[in-house]
Amino acid sequence: MATSALRLDNVDAFYGDSHVLQNVSFELGEARMLGLLGRNGAGKSTCMNVGMGLLAARRGEVSVFGEKVTRLSPEMIAARGVALVPQGRRIFRSLTVRENLIVAGRKPDAGSNHAPWTIDTVFGMFPRLKERTAQMAAHLSGGEQQMLAIGRALMGNPRVLLMDEPSEGLAPQIVAEVMATIRKLKESGLSIILVEQNPNLVFDVADDIVILNTGGVAVVSTPAALRQDDALLRQHLGVF
Amino acid sequence: MNFWLVLTVNSVTFGGLLFLLASGFSLIFGLMRIPNLTHGSLFMLGAYIGGSIVIGLFGFKMNFWLAAVLAALTVAALGALIERFLLRQLPGDQLAQVLVTLGISFMAADFCLMVWGGDPMSVTTPEGLGGFARIGGAVFPLYRLAIIAIAVVVAIALWLLLDRTRLGAMIRAGVDDPDMARVVGIRVSQLFTIVFALGAGLAAFAGIIGGPILSVYPGLDQDMLPLALLVVIIGGAGSLLGSFVGSILVGFIYNFGQALLPELAYFVLFLPMLLVLLLRPQGLFGRHVP
Ligand SMILES: Nc1ncnc2c1ncn2[C@@H]1O[C@H](COP(=O)(O)OP(=O)(O)OP(=O)(O)O)[C@@H](O)[C@H]1O
Ligand SMILES: [Mg+2]
Repeated sequence: MATSALRLDNVDAFYGDSHVLQNVSFELGEARMLGLLGRNGAGKSTCMNVGMGLLAARRGEVSVFGEKVTRLSPEMIAARGVALVPQGRRIFRSLTVRENLIVAGRKPDAGSNHAPWTIDTVFGMFPRLKERTAQMAAHLSGGEQQMLAIGRALMGNPRVLLMDEPSEGLAPQIVAEVMATIRKLKESGLSIILVEQNPNLVFDVADDIVILNTGGVAVVSTPAALRQDDALLRQHLGVF
Repeated sequence: MNFWLVLTVNSVTFGGLLFLLASGFSLIFGLMRIPNLTHGSLFMLGAYIGGSIVIGLFGFKMNFWLAAVLAALTVAALGALIERFLLRQLPGDQLAQVLVTLGISFMAADFCLMVWGGDPMSVTTPEGLGGFARIGGAVFPLYRLAIIAIAVVVAIALWLLLDRTRLGAMIRAGVDDPDMARVVGIRVSQLFTIVFALGAGLAAFAGIIGGPILSVYPGLDQDMLPLALLVVIIGGAGSLLGSFVGSILVGFIYNFGQALLPELAYFVLFLPMLLVLLLRPQGLFGRHVP
């Protein structure tokens, strides 16, 4: 079996006393895209937080390219090539666009075989950010903030990219732009987890699908199979 | 010399001194989310250490400015040690961290009393600045003008550091969103040490610079700490501009309050703080509610 880029094995996670993830296991294959679906509150963001080290798994293991990272800090997991585009974007609002990118800069790993991300290549991908380079990030539109959040993640030259609802709150046309970007990133060989509530967005780009339901893995499948199974989708995601 | 003019110059001078003290306090508050209750002690310690060197108390004597730099560096190192070996042991537990800083402030007060005794220590004004400058029709004490100039230079240096360097952007990112700062790979705990040491050094520098006008005495720490807190609540935690404006404001309120309403000096001083807390809890220039 190919190496997995990111793996959760039997993960249990809590916020205080509330048991949010129960025995969650899934894996993201190298250079693949995993769509992570689930209703509001199903535990998708919690999985991302555990993968990034923002929330420590109480039981179970997390590994990145075979190396255990369970309970490492976010900065150490970032140093191992994982980057997060968080839900709600969470760009540094009082920093300029350029500063948001600079502070996240990290040299690519020695073994990496494609051109590193720099401010210039990020600006090449998002020309609109380039026009706003000296502007405070707080003053960007929602779509621009999402581009900045993606650009900031890329500045870490990650091997694994975690994207938590990047389409949330964006106009349809901007969603299409963001999805086109995600497709390009996938083609560049990046291993990606894409969290979404809307399965149709994910089915077009993902290789594998995991559906969470109330903190556990309910379905592991592929877009092709799930497209045929409306009943299953309705059961776990509601009506679309 | 005109009474109002004197009062104004004194206010700006005191504001400048407060800025040296409070800018570090504010950065620490913004980044680590704790009021560093040792800040008054660090100010006092800087004044005692620097003052001792200036008057040659421990057998060696130095020029005022060298003494100030040496005191600032010593206390900055002490600040780094406090952060690394005490506060770092209590990550995320802000209440415990605040209590640690409170404990250290009491210990520092005892230590100073033991070493320097209960009598005030007067620090001589640096050479060449004991006189007055005549500007227009008015006469200004040179040393007070020097304090204002120093505060402006430090403000510009801090602004350059925070606004024009990658380190500064990282610090601001940490103030904005510490979790995201860590997610993008910034070692926020290292920033804590750097900012704590910087704040400690600045506080100590303020202490010795203020020595010739305030003198140094037991209790100086507890006189200064509330003023730093005031500046940060009014200006906003983590904001350099907020510290600057807040310091000058507090400098004016403090001096005018004492001159015009001496019985109500504290009332006048803390009323604006209550108003800011009620009406704009993040401070005039801050983004976070402390
Ligand atoms: N910081 C927190 N403290 C306590 N409970 C939390 C916290 N964050 C999330 N939860 C709870 O954990 C559960 C899972 O939340 P999570 O954010 O992972 O869901 P999600 O699948 O990302 O949902 P959404 O689609 O709304 O983003 C929910 O019941 C939520 O209420
Ligand atoms: Mg979520």
